[in-house]
Amino acid sequence: MGLLRKIGSFFHDDWCNKCQSQMNEIGRRLYILPMRVGHYYSHKDADYYKRNLIRVERKSDIPTATYACGAIHYWCPKCSNRIVKLSIFLPVRDEEKYEETIYFENGELNELFEK
Amino acid sequence: MENEQIKKVNALYIFTYIFIPIAVSALCFIISALFFPKGNMAVILIMGPVIISVIWWIFGGKILFKQKQKKMEEELEQSGFKRNQTFYADGSTVVVDTENGKIAIIFFWNPFQRYILSANRITKVWVDDGKSGAGIIEGSSRVSFLFNIDDLKIRVNTFTSNQRWRMDSEYILTGISKADMMAEVIETARSKAK
Repeated sequence: MGLLRKIGSFFHDDWCNKCQSQMNEIGRRLYILPMRVGHYYSHKDADYYKRNLIRVERKSDIPTATYACGAIHYWCPKCSNRIVKLSIFLPVRDEEKYEETIYFENGELNELFEK
Repeated sequence: MENEQIKKVNALYIFTYIFIPIAVSALCFIISALFFPKGNMAVILIMGPVIISVIWWIFGGKILFKQKQKKMEEELEQSGFKRNQTFYADGSTVVVDTENGKIAIIFFWNPFQRYILSANRITKVWVDDGKSGAGIIEGSSRVSFLFNIDDLKIRVNTFTSNQRWRMDSEYILTGISKADMMAEVIETARSKAK
């Protein structure tokens, strides 16, 4: 069972990486990522996001041709682990062009949701 | 200079670009036929100009255009033109100064002439996503932003392909995003110039 759940966790964004339980979504935010179309560079460093993300309320607040970042905060009810998932995309009219999804599984970006 | 008429194509340049290599190749062919009908010299005189001509047609124009584009950028910086946004396309380069409401353009087929104009000469700006077809064949192979300067339509491609892409493909979306951005920047310069 443990092995199956471990395998299953690869296919579920919202399963805890430590105990493989389903996590609860406790926060969701939208940010501007100050990079423009054609100039996207992948960053894995949490400090980069802490320094540069600009919070907005809705997608229409994101300037044309500027990248956006959707952040989801998960909490595991079984082991209290907290994970932040960043989905980076370029909003283009009614569509979204996804670049990448990055997980911060060791609490590096928890403070985003504490502000 | 701000009121000069824009020419996207320099006919003399196109003519020399295409026909001078042909003329040189033909001349070498005639010289070979008359004086060196056989041997190494004949091969050099016939093949040499043809190879050089093909290389020129493939790379010559691009190298020349890049040089002229670089020179224009240097001149713009020296003249106090604020390069808020520069867009490099295959057929032209567009530089916009949103602070002073100006636009600078250089065309691939007219590389010896660069234009620096007040953005109030722009009468219309729009984006063409190239969408055609319906249902599963709906798609595009070209995305561009366009603007009219006086009565002349200038099209700048942000994406081109020899195949058709779905409208939600990453190439088309990136092209639309770039075109939307440029249209917005040109509109900003236009409103500043008024």
